Amino acid sequence: MVNKIKAELQAAFADLTIAEESYPQCGYHLSVDLKAKDIVNIASFFDERSFYLAVELGVDYKEYLELVYIFSIHSSLCKVKVTLKLDPSQPAAPTLSKIYDCAYWYEREIHEFYGVRFDGHPDLTYLFLHDGIDFYPLRKEKIPVSEKDKQELNSYSPAQRDDSLFINMGPQHPSTHGVLRVVLKMDGEYIEDAYPVLGYLHRMQEKMAENRTYYQFLPNTGRMDYLGAMSFNLGYVTAVERLAGIDVPARAHYVRVIATELNRICSHLLWIGAYLADLGGLSPFLYAFDDRENIQDVLEAVTGSRLTYCYFRFGGLYNDVDDAFIAGTKAVIARMRGRFALYEKLVGGNLIFINRTRGIGVIEKERARKYAVSGPVLRGAGIGVDLRKKEPYAAYPEMDFEVPTGKNGDALDMYHIRIKEMETSLNIIEQAIARLPDGPFIVEKAPKKLKPRKGDLYHVVETPRGELGIYIVSDESDKPYRMKWRVPSFSNLMIFPELAKGNLLSDAVAILGSLDLVIPEIDR
Amino acid sequence: MEKENLPPVSFAVLDQVLDLARANSLWPVTFGLACCAIEMMSSAMARFDIDRFGAGVFRPSPRQADLMIVSGTVTKKMAPVLVTLYDQMPSPKWVIAMGNCAISGGPFVFEGQYNLIEGVDKLVPVDVYVPGCPPRPEGLLEGFLKLQEKITGKRRFPGPVERW
Repeated sequence: MVNKIKAELQAAFADLTIAEESYPQCGYHLSVDLKAKDIVNIASFFDERSFYLAVELGVDYKEYLELVYIFSIHSSLCKVKVTLKLDPSQPAAPTLSKIYDCAYWYEREIHEFYGVRFDGHPDLTYLFLHDGIDFYPLRKEKIPVSEKDKQELNSYSPAQRDDSLFINMGPQHPSTHGVLRVVLKMDGEYIEDAYPVLGYLHRMQEKMAENRTYYQFLPNTGRMDYLGAMSFNLGYVTAVERLAGIDVPARAHYVRVIATELNRICSHLLWIGAYLADLGGLSPFLYAFDDRENIQDVLEAVTGSRLTYCYFRFGGLYNDVDDAFIAGTKAVIARMRGRFALYEKLVGGNLIFINRTRGIGVIEKERARKYAVSGPVLRGAGIGVDLRKKEPYAAYPEMDFEVPTGKNGDALDMYHIRIKEMETSLNIIEQAIARLPDGPFIVEKAPKKLKPRKGDLYHVVETPRGELGIYIVSDESDKPYRMKWRVPSFSNLMIFPELAKGNLLSDAVAILGSLDLVIPEIDR
Repeated sequence: MEKENLPPVSFAVLDQVLDLARANSLWPVTFGLACCAIEMMSSAMARFDIDRFGAGVFRPSPRQADLMIVSGTVTKKMAPVLVTLYDQMPSPKWVIAMGNCAISGGPFVFEGQYNLIEGVDKLVPVDVYVPGCPPRPEGLLEGFLKLQEKITGKRRFPGPVERW
């Protein structure tokens, strides 16, 4: 696949320099450095070959600004990094939002954090930042916001654009699962359009990463996605280990898998509870929390926290698991296996639930690719991609498990997929416990001070919500030069306006809930 | 209420009765901000069951609530919304700052931060601070008992045993 794409790229663009990169080191196969005028053609090239735009981000190298695009494909393992150098005094680039829908939001983000103007972008209104901010936060030097951008900073008032009825959902709304605001443009009881407004929980994680050493940033990962804290923690440590070339003992790999999967079940359980509460049924909430508490007891005994875990260290774990942990995990597995029948009776077979969710928020395959959605939402659409299988990390290569995939892509499918994923997780945990090797739980000479090699890395892991990508640029110091988090909920939320159009207001809640959003992860 | 604000007639006994009633039927507003909100939900669920102390009725509208549990990071963009919510609550009303973010900005304070309110007490008056990142549900319950103590002037349930 990689060679084929390289040959086709060279045939299509004659004066292009394509470098082959080492995938284990960098996380991508090919890198291409471009002029601004070619980026639209390159994007169309990848679009025709059904690649998706995994992430688009900016890096400030002081002499120039760099835009990084990472194209990836669902059907096989081939990633291409495309970079674009911009003039830092007047950065401008053509927009990709007409080709890839997900670029629409990524470009808005880059615009407000770097001041890059995207020619032809339909709406560069600020997405995250509050009114009155007067510099571009992620630029290395403090550069004042230009007059043109200031107008866009304060321009968000949809009601003034036309005289339709606008309904404001959030930021304080019980069913947005946090502080998400969605402005709905209504036609009677039907939704004409939806505009999500983000940034009510923007905690400057990416800026913080540049001010912290690799070790100091560790606890932040658990607070980014508090429901899947283990997965984020795992993603971060595996990324830095890959960048710095740290080996991890086999026992640590296995324990990481067990802990992450337990946490994944926790996350899905909370989703079931909260989603059903959105739809009006509060009883599953109580059942789900009861199960969650049992899992949290097991995890708390070894990690020390109930929610925002920071259990993994570079090169291993914080502490070793004991027999009580193994026994507790086995008890959780036995208990959970018996609970699925109950959930089926309570929720899955409930006619009201089925009628509320069947055929609602249907995602087609092509649309899923254009928006770069991932995780259960993507698998619900019928694309069975699981990064634990596609790009395995930790001890996942040795695990035998299936990837549940849906057929219709509606909200009902997402429920069934998440239930099946919990069963899959139980299977994985059982296998990992059966084969748990003895030995050290952390590498003997774990480095006290990390100074990874110069260069960059794009590392992905599968979180309960989908593809988490961490792009790190290292300049050989103990702090990352730039760290970009490509978070699954951000991409999954982008598709919401498309899904909501033409639906009833009450169904908007059902659609939004089915995406399983965690807001601090979106806002970072 | 301070002495000079009191009406000239003393309603001491009536006030005490009202305070007892208020303290034992606090209605928190359903207002989750971040990680702490999940622990707040946990404390309302079966195991910890905040309803034992009379605060199980989480109201989705601030106009029906008299307690705001600020559970998470308050950003500059969220600040006006939070103040509006507080203003919409009818008096008498109380605020619990749950977690380090609500108390002081917590782990997200660094030099050059541009989006954080470092402590919700800069926006609204806070009655009880519950530290932790996030606090355990037991921590929130203890903060809750402290608030009841503050309202009635008397602790109704035995306090924690000091072991250290």
